[in-house]
Parts: sequence; structure tokens; C-alpha cells
Amino acid sequence: MDLSLVLNTFTLLTLTTLSTPIIFPLLSDSLKNTPSTITNTVKASFLISLIPMTIHIHSGSESLITLWEWKFIMTFKIPISLKLDFYSLTFLPIALFVSWSILQFATWYMASDPHATKFFTYLLLFLIAMLTLIVANNLFVLFIGWEGVGVMSFLLISWWHGRAEANTAALQAILYNRVGDVGLILCLAWLAYTTNTWEIQQLNSPHQTPTLPLLGLILAATGKSAQFGLHPWLPAAMEGPTPVSALLHSSTMVVAGIFLLIRTHPLLSSNQTAMTTCLCLGALSTLFAATCALTQNDIKKIIAFSTSSQLGLMMVTIGLNLPQLAFLHISTHAFFKAMLFLCSGSIIHNLNGEQDIRKMGGLQKMLPTTTSCLTIGNLALMGTPFLAGFYSKDQIIECLNTSYLNSWALILTLLATSFTAVYTIRMTVLVQTGFTRIPPLTPMNENNPAITSPITRLALGSIMAGLLITSYITPTKTPPMTMPLSIKITALVITILGIIIALELSKLTQTLILTKQTPLYNFSTSLGYFNLLTHRLTTKTLLTGGQNIASHLVDLSWYKLLGPEGLANLQLTTTKTITTLHSGLIKAYLSSFALSLLIILMSAH
Amino acid sequence: FTASLLLGTTLTISSNHWIMAWAGLEINTLAILPMISKSHHPRAIEAATKYFLTQATASALLLFSSMINAWQTGQWDITQLTNPTSCLILTSAIAMKLGLVPFHFWFPEVLQGTPLTTGLLLSTLMKFPPITLLYMTSPSLNPTVLTSMAILSTALGGWMGLNQTQIRKILAFSSISHLGWMTIIISYNPKLTLLNFYLYALMTTATFLTLHSTKASKLSTLMTTWTKTPTLNAALLLTLLSLAGLPPLTGFLPKWLIIQELTKQDMA
Repeated sequence: MDLSLVLNTFTLLTLTTLSTPIIFPLLSDSLKNTPSTITNTVKASFLISLIPMTIHIHSGSESLITLWEWKFIMTFKIPISLKLDFYSLTFLPIALFVSWSILQFATWYMASDPHATKFFTYLLLFLIAMLTLIVANNLFVLFIGWEGVGVMSFLLISWWHGRAEANTAALQAILYNRVGDVGLILCLAWLAYTTNTWEIQQLNSPHQTPTLPLLGLILAATGKSAQFGLHPWLPAAMEGPTPVSALLHSSTMVVAGIFLLIRTHPLLSSNQTAMTTCLCLGALSTLFAATCALTQNDIKKIIAFSTSSQLGLMMVTIGLNLPQLAFLHISTHAFFKAMLFLCSGSIIHNLNGEQDIRKMGGLQKMLPTTTSCLTIGNLALMGTPFLAGFYSKDQIIECLNTSYLNSWALILTLLATSFTAVYTIRMTVLVQTGFTRIPPLTPMNENNPAITSPITRLALGSIMAGLLITSYITPTKTPPMTMPLSIKITALVITILGIIIALELSKLTQTLILTKQTPLYNFSTSLGYFNLLTHRLTTKTLLTGGQNIASHLVDLSWYKLLGPEGLANLQLTTTKTITTLHSGLIKAYLSSFALSLLIILMSAH
Repeated sequence: FTASLLLGTTLTISSNHWIMAWAGLEINTLAILPMISKSHHPRAIEAATKYFLTQATASALLLFSSMINAWQTGQWDITQLTNPTSCLILTSAIAMKLGLVPFHFWFPEVLQGTPLTTGLLLSTLMKFPPITLLYMTSPSLNPTVLTSMAILSTALGGWMGLNQTQIRKILAFSSISHLGWMTIIISYNPKLTLLNFYLYALMTTATFLTLHSTKASKLSTLMTTWTKTPTLNAALLLTLLSLAGLPPLTGFLPKWLIIQELTKQDMA
């Protein structure tokens, strides 16, 4: 049995299965979708996608499927091809697993929504776009997937479009992503110009690539993965329903930027400037997001900032020239972040729409399954030894500590790791433990299997995934094995330190003292003043600049002063001056004649 | 009076001796003076006076220049005008007769004071002898003086014409402007001067006669002619545009050729 044939067939079958709920309703009126059909389709796809992954792990076979070649210009061909290598084959089942769980959860969460089927169709479209991005071999196909996830993100964030903040958030998402897209297009253009190909397997550059296209790539990742500078859209995107936050903004879409950097890693690795940019940008993002998460009171925003922080960590890993480790972190992060979002969704719905953690408490007794899985997720996020997060996060911090690079980035990342522990413990303490602060008559019921099975499945994944993945892949770069004891346990020590501080600080909630508004507190609460500063300033400057150019420059100056009216004015002045000279006095005329004659005679001699 | 005009013009054109030319010019001046002052209106009398004074000065200068030439070279042949001073004086004399800048101040007022048909004669027929003289002496004239006068004429004629409401003054300035065009090319290709003059005479005649038939002397009068004579109004439009020199019309031809010639001479 030809292994590669099986590989190719089953991958294509996965992708085709996913697109059936889109195509079948178009073919006949009786084949309508329901939320459960879509969920089952994704489940089937997941099971089918396990086969290619197993084949890859077993034999290490990779393949390249070329479907069609778009002969745009004769010398520049764009083959629509799929690259099935380690990254895509491993991420495919993970993404489908997470999506299946989320969709199953969403059948309960969106049960009261009149347009539930449309919601599921949107989610499915998003998934198809995301998978296109993952398996793309050609940067053009990747760009199609890129744009697709951006558009679906817009539609899904503004799902409850009657709410003004939802619309603003969706606009923010699209705009910030667009700014990042400019960078991607820049890189595409440069590639088409110099290397005449957009294929990923041809991306190896023998000598050092110029910094500009690489900066474009980093800009694209900044926009899509919410690094510092183009980050406000991610917390704002929490306006969407929780399944949307779980799927898009935790496990799949926001990793698209990092995934792009992983794919184009051969180009990046030779340019030291680009690597340093990644490193410092990632470190800054992770610390900034962690700082902002410290004083948030909305449970979804805390999780959003933690996503942002982890994305910064992934960017740091790329900056350390370790793409495989970044991919490992993407995979493990998908599990526990999606689970965290689903748990928060269950909490929110059970508390009848309450999202403020100051109004939750003591939920451990009331929602046992949810809260236990929440605890597992938080522990995994903090990098507790031998849970999923440990395998990737701890390794990243080890590599960071033993590298010869930027120590400023190192300090920032370590600080961010401890902050992660702080806000996670804060959230856990305020939500689950202590005396309850919820209104008395809230009917809570989590006995629906649509809630419990996805969450427990993902919990299982969070525990096992790290172990499974690291056992079955061979790392391309040798991880550092020998280091002093203090360095080895740095991550652990810092996390425990954070926990202790958090537990100390959380005692404040039980003493009923009003928090004083110190400048640091203000900085953290208002998201580092970034939103306030940039959202008004940049748009106002650009728009007034545009207005100045259009009306002042073009209309007033060029048309009036210099152009037609200016000329007319010039003639008018001259005419009036000369008319006064023609006085009508013959003596003046004759004397002027005489004078002119004299001048002519003088000048000729 | 018309007969005397014709006599004077013919005399000047066909002359070979400076005295004959001068005599013809004097006959022209004297003959047209009564025509200008026919209506006994104070403005007409003023115009006649101005005209007489200017033309008399010009003729005197002409005679003076020919005498200097005769003294220096010993001959009175028109085409053999070689003395530089006399060339200069001749140029200014003819400029005065024609109405080139800076000797143009009399022209608008004179034209304003005359009836339309006489004005026509003034601008076309009276210009003919001086242009002929220029044509005959063109090889020896100073190009710098001519060019500067011509450029000034063209510019000034245009500018001054903008601020006028009386049609005759506008036509005067248009004539000054056209004379500028004629003068600029005379040192390089005199035939183009003549071509320009003929076409200009044609167009101006058409304009003047049209205006005479509608008795329009101010712009405000011109505005109501379309109700009385619509076709004539349209024809006037085309003629005026031709005077301006718009491409598909005849007026463009001399301008185009002049510019071409100047470009060849490395001047435009």
C-alpha cells in the first residue's frame, strides 16, 4: 500500500468533508444544515484527519499536492498547491479536534439564537479558510486563507450587531488586520520580484535576505497575532459570542501570524535584524498584555490578554530561531486556551450573562466540572510541570535563558511569566473560591452533555497533548540539555513567586477596602493608555491631513491662487495699471514718443 | 477724399525715392483728416488733432532719416537704407505711423473718435504704406529694436484690450497686437509679415463692416444684436475668433507660420 497515496487521499478527504455542509444546501432544498449536522461533519473530519497524521508520525512522509496551476503571466506561475509536512499534518487534527469541541459547546450556547444555523455556517467557513491557510504551499493560497479568516472574524465578532460596541470591535479587528496585510503584500511583491515564485518550499535564500520584506512579514504577524502596536483589536474582539472567542481568538486565527513566520522561517533565520525585532517585539507584547490582564475585571478580557501574552511568547520563540518550538507552543496552547474560553462561556451563561469576576465567587461548589477544568486549564497555562503547557513553555524559557541574545527580552519575558501566574491565580480565586457574590436566584445547570463533554475532552487534551506531541516528533534543533540548576528551575520559581504574590494580593477582596487609584493601577486598567492615545490621534491626523490636501491644497491653492483664477487676477492687475497710463493727454504721449526715440538711439550706440 | 487716399497709397507703394514715399504719406494723412472729423463732434475733432500731430511727427522723422541717409551715402533709394542711425529713426517713425508700442498711445483714442467706416480705413488702408516701407527696408533694420517693440506690442495690446467696453478701442488694441506679430517676423521672413497683414486686413474689414451694419459701438450694444440679426451675430463670433487666432480658423495661419519661423531662428 502506497503510503503517500493514502496520505494524500485522506487529507483531501478531510478537506472535502469539511466543505460538504456548504455545498449540499446549494444543491437541493431538502438538504438543510442544522447545528448538529455541522458538528458531526467536523467530528468526522477530525477522525479522518487522524490517519494522515499517524502516517506522517510513523514514516515521516511528507507530500506536496498540486491541484491546478494559474497561468497568470507566462513567466510567473501560481500553482495552487498544498504542502503536507509536519506542521500542517499535525495542526490539522488539533484544529479539527478543538473546533469539534467548540462546535459541540456552541450547540448549547447558541441554542436560543434564532439564526443558529447561520452562526454555525460562519464558523465552518472560518474553519475552511483557516485550514486553507495551514495547508497552503503557495503564499498566494495562504493569502486567500489569511483574508478569509479576517473577513469571517469581522462577521463573527459583530454577530450581535445590534450592540454598538460589537460593531466597533469588528471594525477594529478588520482595520488592524488590514494594516498587517500591507506588510504581507509587501513581502509577496518582493518575493515575486526577486525570486519569481511564491512557493514555500522554494523560499530558501542562499544569502542574507534584505530586511524590508522580512519587516513586512513581521508587520503581518503583528497585525494578525496582536503583537504590541496592533494589538487593541484582540481584547475588543471579546464582544463576539464565546464560541467565536474560543475558536478564533485563542487557538486558530491569532496563531495565523505566527504560523506565517514559521512557514517563512528559512527567509527569516539569516537576517539578524529581523530576528532581534521578533524577539523584542514578542517580549514587549507579552509583558504589556500580562500587565494589562492584572487589573481586568471581565473574565473574557483576562483570557484574551492571556492569549495576547502567549502570542508574544510565541513571537519570542521565533526570535530565538526555534520555529518548531513555537509550533509546539501553538499546538498545546490551542487546547488549554479553547478550554478556558469554553469554561468561561459556561460560567457566563449559567450566571445569566454575568461577565464580571467581582460578581462571581464560590463557583467551585456550584459548577464542579466547569471549575475543575478551569483549574486544569489555568495550571496548564502557567506551565505546571508535566501538563501540556509545561513542555512548550518551560522549554522556551530554558532556551531563552541559555541563549546569548538580548537580556532585556529575557527579563521582560520572565516578568511576564510571573504576571501570568498572578492574573491566573487572581481569576481562579475570585471566580471559584471564597464566598459567593452572585445574585441569589440564578438557575445553574451544567449537566448538559453538550457542555461537559467538550470541556472534559479538551481537559484531557491539555493534560496529554504536550506529552504526546513531544514524544512522537524529532526536534530539528537540539534543545539545550545542560544548564545550571538555577536556570533550569527559573520558570518554576518565578511562577511560584507569582502565585504567592497573587494569593497575598487577593486577600484584599476579603477585607472590603476600596482599591486606591495609583498611576500603576490606572496604567494597567486602561490598557496602557494605548487605545486612548492612538485611536483618536492617528485617525484625526490622517483625516485632517487628507482634508487639507483635498480642499486647501487642491481647491483653494491650485485652483484659486496658482491656477485659472490666479492667472486671471494677474491679468487684471496688469490691465488696471496700464489703463491708468493711457491718460489721453497728447502732450504726455508726444513726450513719451520723444523719450522712446532717445532711448532707442542711445541703446543702439 | 477716397480718391486722394488711393492716390497717396499708390504713390508710396510704388515709389523708389524717399521724397515720393514721404509725399504719398503726407497726402494720405491730409486726405483722411476731414474724414475723421466729418461729424464735428468734439471727440472727433480731438481724434483728428491727435492723429494729425502724431502723423506729422512721424513723417518729419521719416524725412529726417532719409536725409541722414542721403547725407551719408549720397543716394535716396529706399532699398539702400544703410546708415544705422537712419534705420533706427526710420523704425521709430514707422512705428509711430503704425501704432507700435511705445508709440501707440494715439491709436485707441483716434479710433474711438472716428465713425466706423473711417476707422476701418484707418486700420487697414493707412497701415499699408508704412508696412510696405518696412518691407522694402527690412534687410537693414535693427532686429533687436524691432523684436522688443513687437513683444511689447503684443503683450500690451492684449492687456489693454481686456479692460475696455468700447468696441473701437478693443479693435484698436487688437490691431496693435497684430502689428506686433507682423513686426516680429519682418527681419527673418518678410513675406510672412505681408501674409499676416493681408489676413488681418481681411478679418478686420469683416469685423468693422459687421459692426457698422449693426451700429454697435459699445459692448452693451453688441449684446442685443442677436435678436436683430442672428446670422450676422454668429458670423461675427467666428470672425472675432479668427482674429484671436483660434486654430481651425484662418487667423491661426499667420501665427503658426510666424512661430515656426521664429523657432527656426532659435528665438521662440
